Formats: sequence, C-alpha cells, structure tokens
Amino acid sequence: MNTLRATWLLTIRALREIVRQPVNEVGNLVIPLFFFAVTVGAVGRVAERAFGVENFTGFQMPVAVLNAAASGTAGLAITQDVVSGYFEKLLLTPAPRFAVVFGRVTADSVKAAVLAALIAGIGLLVGTGFAAGPLGFLLLVGMAGAFGFVFSAFGVAFGLRTGSPQAAQLSFLLFFPLLFLSPAFAPKEVFAPWLSFAATINPVTYVLEGMRSLVLEGWDGGALLRAFGAIAGIGGFTLSLTAWALRSRG
Amino acid sequence: MGGIRAEGLTKVYRRGGVRAVDGIDLDVREGQVFAFLGENGSGKTTTVRMLTTLLRPTSGRAWVAGFDVVERPGDVRRAAGVALQEVGLDDLQTARELLELQARLFGLSRGEARRRAGELLAVVGLEADADRRLGTYSGGMRRRLDLAAALVHRPRVLFLDEPTTGLDPGSRESVWQYIRSINREEGVTVFLTTQYLEEADRLADEVAIIHRGRIVAQGSPEALKSSIGADVIAVELGEDPSAIALAVEALTPLTAAAEKRVADGHLYLYVREGARLVPRVVVELERVGVRPRAVTVARPTLDDVFLRITGHHLAVQPPATAGDGAAGPRANLRAAKSPEREGDR
Repeated sequence: MNTLRATWLLTIRALREIVRQPVNEVGNLVIPLFFFAVTVGAVGRVAERAFGVENFTGFQMPVAVLNAAASGTAGLAITQDVVSGYFEKLLLTPAPRFAVVFGRVTADSVKAAVLAALIAGIGLLVGTGFAAGPLGFLLLVGMAGAFGFVFSAFGVAFGLRTGSPQAAQLSFLLFFPLLFLSPAFAPKEVFAPWLSFAATINPVTYVLEGMRSLVLEGWDGGALLRAFGAIAGIGGFTLSLTAWALRSRG
Repeated sequence: MGGIRAEGLTKVYRRGGVRAVDGIDLDVREGQVFAFLGENGSGKTTTVRMLTTLLRPTSGRAWVAGFDVVERPGDVRRAAGVALQEVGLDDLQTARELLELQARLFGLSRGEARRRAGELLAVVGLEADADRRLGTYSGGMRRRLDLAAALVHRPRVLFLDEPTTGLDPGSRESVWQYIRSINREEGVTVFLTTQYLEEADRLADEVAIIHRGRIVAQGSPEALKSSIGADVIAVELGEDPSAIALAVEALTPLTAAAEKRVADGHLYLYVREGARLVPRVVVELERVGVRPRAVTVARPTLDDVFLRITGHHLAVQPPATAGDGAAGPRANLRAAKSPEREGDR
C-alpha cells in the first residue's frame, strides 16, 4: 500500500463525511462572505481616497477566499477519530501513517478550493473583475487549495499532539492574528512602521498579495512566486509539526 | 508461522514510571486459542498493543506470524487482525463502506473489497443494516462489525482485546461461536484478553493469568484447575470477622492439611473428597455457634486458580443472566458453568 493510494482512499472517506454534514460547511462559506460584504460596505467608498485602492471589492475578495481556506476541520476530525478509536484502526492497517493524515488534509484542500471558487464566483457577480482571466481564476482556486492543505496540517498537529478537539481548533484562531498582521484591509504602504514590519515577516501577506495580483493586476510572476514560496514555507513548518505529533501516536 | 512468541516483553510508561508489563514470555502455537486472563490494569491491553505494533516495547522482543513487531511492523499488520477493547468505528460511514475501505487499505482491489465486505456482513448478520450509518448501530452490532473489520484481510492471527465486554448474553454467545468457527474452520490463531473466567474457560486451549504485569500461571484450563488438586468447599459467612475467625478455628482440626483462603465473606477450603467432608463442616460450625449462609462444594474453577495465586477473586461480573448479579463472582461463574460441571468437557 503506497502513500498516494492510501491517501486517495482516505481522502474519499473524508470528503464523504464533509458532504454528509453540509450544515457544517454553510458557516465556512457564509462567514467569509459576510465579512467581505461588511468590509466593502463600510470602507469601500473611502478606500480610494484613503488608500488609493480603486477596486476595493477586488482588493477584499482574496481575504474572504483565504478566510474560507483556513477553515479546515481536519484537526477536529482527526481528533474525533482518535477519541472514537477509529484512528487506531487505521494505524493497524498497512497504510503508511502519513497517509492517514494526508487523507484528511487533502479533503480540506479540496474543500478550500471549492469554497474559493464559490467566493471568487460571487465576487465576479458583484464586480471584482479578474485581471488574470479564467486561468488566473483557476490558479487562485488552486492557491486556496494549497493554502488549505498546509494550514489544515496545523490543526492536525495540535489535535494529534493533545488529543483535544479544542486544541485542534486553535489553528483557526491562530489564523486571525496572521490575517490582521497582513495587508488584509489596507495596503502595506499606509501601515505604521511596526505593522509594516510584522506584515513583511508574515507569510500570509505574500499568499494574500499573490491572490490579489491575479484579481487586480493580471500575471505578476514575482508576486505568484512569493505566494507559492510562502505556502511552501508554511507547509514545511506545519507538516514537520504534524510528523512530530504523529510520532507521539505510536 | 502463524503463532505468537515473546521473550522478556516489557513496557514501562515514562509518565509515572509504571511497569505495565514486566518481562513476559509467550509461546502461542499456530491455530491455538490463547486467553490472557487478568483484572483491569493487569497489563493485558498493553501486551496486545505491543504485539500489534501500536506501542513500542521498552525491552524484550516479540514475533507475530514470524515477524518481529519492532523491525517488521508492516508485515505484522498484514498478518494480524485486531479488534481492540474500544470499538473504533466512524459513525458517519455505513458498515459496508467501512469494511470496503478497510479491505482496500489492506491492498484488496475494489471488486475484491466489495465481495469480502458482503461475505463478512453476512457472516456477522449485518446484511440488512449494511447501508445504515454506524451512528445508529447498537453496541452489539458495533462489536460484531468491529470483529468483521479485523477479519477483512483474512489474517493468520487474530487479536481480540476483551471482545465481549459490555455485550448482552445473546451477543456474547454469538461472538464466541464466531471466534470458535474462524479458529476451527480457517485455522486462525486467536489471542484474546478477557476478565471473564467463563470466556477463557470455554474458548481457550491455553490460558495465561496475568497479574501486575507478570504471567503468574499458564496452561490449559483443565491443567490449571487440576493444579489445585482438590475440591473447593465454599462456606459463605458474610463479612463478620469474628464469625470467620471462629469458623477457621473450628475447622482447623478437621482440615488441618487443607489450604484455606478467606475472600469476599467466604471461607474456601481446598480438600480432597469435599462432598464427604461437607456434613462434618456443618456440624463443626454448629458446634461453635457459626451459622453459615451456605456451604457448597465444587470442582475447582479458574476463579479458584486465580484466587489461589493472587489472593483474591477476579472481581468482574460478566453480563450474565438476570439474577446472577447479587451472588458474587464465584456464583456467576458457577451459574454460567453448570453444563461443564455435568461433564461436557
């Protein structure tokens, strides 16, 4: 049993669970859209004068996409498997142990991509535009999926290490400071120096700017490279943390 | 090659330094049903977890189906089926989905997995409920499905950690029948842990009693019982210490050479030809003014073996028939074992 095959089988199982609990996903779509609408409604008109942002709706849409992509539940789900004993049943199969984790985070990645497509689609309807065209749209969806994958591993690491559903959900709480320390609501140029520094060392900044470049500017190779580099960096950290947590489970 | 072997297997938990398993040796032959009998916390589950690769031994070695559990865990997992004490199921899946996924993770193709799941669902009597989500299953149904999941890849060795804990008598009997049938018909080696004497007695070819992490007795149920070499007279006296002291004093001349034990308000006398001695026991007790609630004589049971070795009963009540509960563990065992006492074994 190789890792890819086992991951595929376990991803299907995790996706089936997501589909069977549709109510859980309503919030993951509605809450980012709600914040999107409220932020645009509150600041949209003054944004051009205050920050020099012409298309504030397009400026904000990637924030909603990131918000949804960070709402993965793999950590919670895997903790529930640990508590129910099903996690050990999976460990007793010859499936590689990492596949048991990959199955969950891959399902979160798929979910993040679907939510991103819906939010970006709604964005188009309310006039965000999409400078990079259909291919750029697909790349944004893929970027959201990749971010969903690596960020979801955070929750898995917390969940595996502690066995606590509450700890598994900490990853989502961790996302908010990262989001607020990025140019989510205004460009970095208008930030106070300390905030500008925080945004510069915050990897979420680069993911957000990469997505934003697709919506507002078209194809910006540098921004995209930095975005994927940031995702890879987050992934290196969260997946190492997950591997360490997995070892504690035998 | 389908057996289990362990040499000096030890597990010390880092937290608290608890020595859960303390240098046990095992040699379970292929095709055998082996019962590991002990109380909660005696080290049964820790042993199973080490043998099934879920826990790394602190020291010692173990082989399952010829594979070293530390060096070749993947081969051990392929050879072994495991049903742990906690029935680990995913409530959002159906029974069929769970078995098919389990089969595929063991490397069966989609078609094979579908066929095997169908076969096992029929065997454990869950065909009609196969497409219901597991969240709606009863405890007995979950246990049967868990057993089926352990067998999905046709293992050579089956580990069952307290397979009937919490089951009603009917479900317990059906699990026993199934364990017997896979052992006899497919030659699967079965390693089961239990705290139920009846379970060990009825199913096992060989029993090991584990106490505080160590194996303190091992042999066939008959051999263990024969090791007592006597009948057991149980005098039920209640918890009054003065009555017990009086009874011991009064019966000492009568049973000078016999071994005596006091436990759970009973005085146990291990004597030859117990039936002939009972009237004299009653007369002696009458003489000193002790009025026992009951005096019974029986052939030794595994509980007597356990009592003799550990100094107390295996104080666990199996989910036996109604009315047994108030009579204590020995009475439970007696009620459950009555056919054997009539000579069916």
